This record gives sequence, structure tokens and C-alpha cells, in this order.
Amino acid sequence: MNRRRALKIVGGGIASLFLLLLPVLLPEVDVHLATEILIFALFAVSFNLLLGYCGLLPFGHAACFGVGAYATALIFKHITGMPFLITLLISALSGFVGALIIGFFCVRLSGSYFALISLAFQMFLYAVALKWRDVTNGDDGMGVTRPDLYLPGLGTLSLMNIQYLYYVTLVIVALAILACYLFLKTPLGHAAVSMRENVIRASFLGYNVFLTRLAIFSFSGFLAGISGALFVVFEEFVATTVMDVHMSFTVILMATIGGTGHFLGPVLGAVFLMVFQDWISSLTKHWWLFMGIVFVMVVLYAEGGLIGLFKWEKIRALFVSEKES
Amino acid sequence: MAILRLQDIYKDFSGLKVLFGVSMEVQQGECHAIIGPNGAGKSTLFNIITGLYKPSRGEITFLNQDITRSSIHKIARMGLSRSFQIINIFPKMTVFENIRIAVVSRFNRRFNITSFLSRDRKILEESDKILSLIGMRDARDVPACEMSYGMQRQLELALTLARDPILILLDEPTAGLNAEETRSIVTLIRKVIQGKTLVIVEHDMEVVFNLADRITVLNYGQVLATGTPDEIRGSEEVKKAYLGRI
Repeated sequence: MNRRRALKIVGGGIASLFLLLLPVLLPEVDVHLATEILIFALFAVSFNLLLGYCGLLPFGHAACFGVGAYATALIFKHITGMPFLITLLISALSGFVGALIIGFFCVRLSGSYFALISLAFQMFLYAVALKWRDVTNGDDGMGVTRPDLYLPGLGTLSLMNIQYLYYVTLVIVALAILACYLFLKTPLGHAAVSMRENVIRASFLGYNVFLTRLAIFSFSGFLAGISGALFVVFEEFVATTVMDVHMSFTVILMATIGGTGHFLGPVLGAVFLMVFQDWISSLTKHWWLFMGIVFVMVVLYAEGGLIGLFKWEKIRALFVSEKES
Repeated sequence: MAILRLQDIYKDFSGLKVLFGVSMEVQQGECHAIIGPNGAGKSTLFNIITGLYKPSRGEITFLNQDITRSSIHKIARMGLSRSFQIINIFPKMTVFENIRIAVVSRFNRRFNITSFLSRDRKILEESDKILSLIGMRDARDVPACEMSYGMQRQLELALTLARDPILILLDEPTAGLNAEETRSIVTLIRKVIQGKTLVIVEHDMEVVFNLADRITVLNYGQVLATGTPDEIRGSEEVKKAYLGRI
């Protein structure tokens, strides 16, 4: 057990060091990719809060991502000089409120009904973004200028500089993922898991299933809102693609390929999918075909997703012979 | 004092009539058994009392409050706890985690996000106490699904008790157990229900006559008789309907 802990600490230390030194170690184009990966990692973690921990599979999780994204774009468009962090907070709260409203109708359902109703809400928001041209500029989208970030002691950082944007994204994503991790350790987090396991028993123990799920759905929306906001700042642009079906299914792929049974599975899935997509799309324009093959392979041969390949038992078996164990 | 009162309960599942005007009272501190042949409506009655089904007609009061239309979790929080005929636990969680999730609810920490569950001493101590009471200390960290059927029955009972309920409803707690396991679960029930009120549905007559202070006999969705075990034993009607002529 101690070795396992040591391995985790060493692994975490190396990963943290790599993330901190990444802009120095890798060329700028890869820093761009890494920033995007961080944003999607948070989005995938927020998604997995629902699928992995609550047992709810939303087909329309991009709705909250999109609400956060549009909130940021509209604030920057209409309110000049709005501080970045306050914009981020408002966008996250928009994601929270959006999820609260959608969740109010969705979380009383489960299984395919839940999945499809969440998709219906996402399509509704997509249609609003597409048709309400006066506000959203439809599928032409809106350009966004990356803001400056004032930090006491450090002065003003221009997020036009990709290295600064990378570090700011890293800190925000790390804090949000940490908050999610700690949240799952609380009684409310455990309540969500109990409902995934046996919803009837949980209600007979006095748990209000509707309110518990709504709370978690809203928190997930909050995190998705943050990732949506960061995505707009990174892309310097927002369009309806932030809340289309493709976006919803991308996050499902990330979480499933990475592994929904482990907290960091979706993070690994985001890393793998984005790097793989980056590589394969430079080789062929039919890259989705290969993504599909990877998805099928993982589902068939990597039980528990890619993170399942790194199980302690498997790692241990590499170093410890059968006789010793 | 009657803590649970059912008045004229009817239940109709889209035309299939299961209960016809069931009225009964459960007195504080008693062990009240509900018996009857298969299909008599015993489990339906349990499901109606605990809020899983709503009655088509009639009224249920618990602690002088109308709970006829209350939701499951509200009834549970009032101090009414039940076990299930088919084991209903959290299969992938360990025995300890199963009990802990019930204790969290009991201490009203269901929506708490300011503390870590693994460091909440009050909840940990209480969960361990229940674990000891139920005699499952050795199985503390075993996933519930990996335990024997008999132990899962024990855990089912522990989950029912962990909220420290006022009224406990046990739905066939010995179903599927062998004679030895039945004896041990009956001993356990006796030990843990002290000072509480119990309603038990059971097919094993030895268990019923061993535990019950009063018995209600259901037949085809109606109350055939209510009385002490001796009265029920002596009732000709009950013999005809259920026990058979001895």
C-alpha cells in the first residue's frame, strides 16, 4: 500500500513538474495544444461527475459549456474593461444557473430519458444561438479579444501571450479539478455515488434523490461553464459549435475512452483524444474514422478505459514476479 | 398508543385490485406481524406505508401525521425504516460504506459540502457502533456484493437500523435463509429492536410466533383477523385460510 502511495506521489510530482515546465520544454504550437487539452480536461471531469459518479449520462452536456462560452463572449463584447476573473466567475455561474434550470426538468428522469431530455435542452439552446442573430451573430459567431489579467504583485499579464494563457488556464483548471475532487469526498459527493449504486435504497434512507442530483448537476454545470469560458478566451471566437451535438459527444468520447471509473480517467481521455486527433488529422482528412476505431477498441479491449491499463495490480505485476507476490 | 394507523386502504393497479379496505393499528413498542398467503397483499401494504406506492383510497397516519401522500424520503426521515424482501443494498460499496451512508442521512449531513466524510468522527464512530451491534466487524471492508447471502441479509437489517428509526418494517427478513441462518437473524432482530416498534412480514410461522406480540392476517387484500398469537392460533377462519387444519 505504501509503495502504491509512493508511486502516486512520484507520478503526480513528475506530471506537475512537466506541466509547469511545458512552455519551456515544448514549442509554441504544442503549448496551444496543451492549453486546449487543459480546457477539455476540465470539461470532461465535469461530465464525469454525472456519468461516473451519479450514473447519469447526459447527451447534451455541451449546453452548460456553451452557456459559459456565450456568457464570456457577450460580456467581453458589451462591457469594456470587465476583469477577466470576474467574467470567468459570471460565466461559471451562468453554467450553474443553466444547469439548475435544465436539471430541474432532467434529473427526475434516468437512463435514456435523462440522456435524451438533456440533448433536447442542448438542441434548444443551440437553436437559440443559431437564430438569435442580433445577440449571438448566429453561425457566423463572434470574435473575442483576449483580455489582460491583472494580478496583484505580478502586474498585468496579456493573455495574448500563449505562455501566460497556458499558465492561467493551468491554475484555473487545476483549482477547479481539485474542487471537484474534494467535493466528491464530502457527504453530498458520497450521496451522489450511493444513488448511482441504488437509488431506491438511498431514498428509503432519507435521501432526496431529486435535490441531490440537481445539486450535483448544477455543480457540474458550473465547472462546464468555466471550461466554456476558457475555451472562448483561448479560441478568441465563439460560435454555435460550442454547444452542438459534436461537442456533447466529444466529451462523452473523452470520458469513456479515458475511463469513467477513475477520477482522472476523463483527463487522460482528453489528453489522448486531443493528441491523437492532432496527429491523425495531420495525416488524413478522414481522421474521424480512426477515432471511431480507437473508441471501439477501447470499449472492447480496455475495460474501464485507458486509465484501466494503469491499474496498480498491472503495474505491480511488471516489477514483481509471481513467486515474490 | 398507536403510532401507525391505516384506515380503509385500497390499492388498485390499473384494474388489478390488491387491497380492499385494510385498516390496522400498530401500537408503540409492539412487534406486529403481518401474515397471509402469497398474493395476499403484504408487500403492497409495506410499499404503501413507506411511500413507494400511493393508495387508491384511504389514509395512513404515522405519529399522528398524515403520510398518505408523503414522499419516500420524508417518511424515512420521520423515523420509519424498512427492509426489503429482495436484498436491497449498495452492492459495490463495502459493508462499512453501506452503513455510513445511512448514518450520514441520520445525522442530517446529506447536503454537507464543508467536511470530508472520511474525517467525520461522529459518523465514523456511529457507523462502527452499528457494525459491532450487527456483528459484522470482520467484514467491515468487504464489498457487499462479495458476501454470502446470509450476510447480505444481515447488512440489509443493519441499513434498516442505521437511521435509528422509531418504527421498523421488515419484509421477510428470513427469506432464502437456511434454518441456522434463520435462527441467527431472529436472535439478531430480537437484540436490535429493543425499545423500538416492529412490523414484520414473514412466512416462517416459527419466526412469527417467536417474535410477534400481535398478528394481523391478510387474505385476498383484506384483514381476516387481528390478535395475539394465541388468538390467531385459535381462529378457525385463519386456520381455514392460511394455516390449514392441524
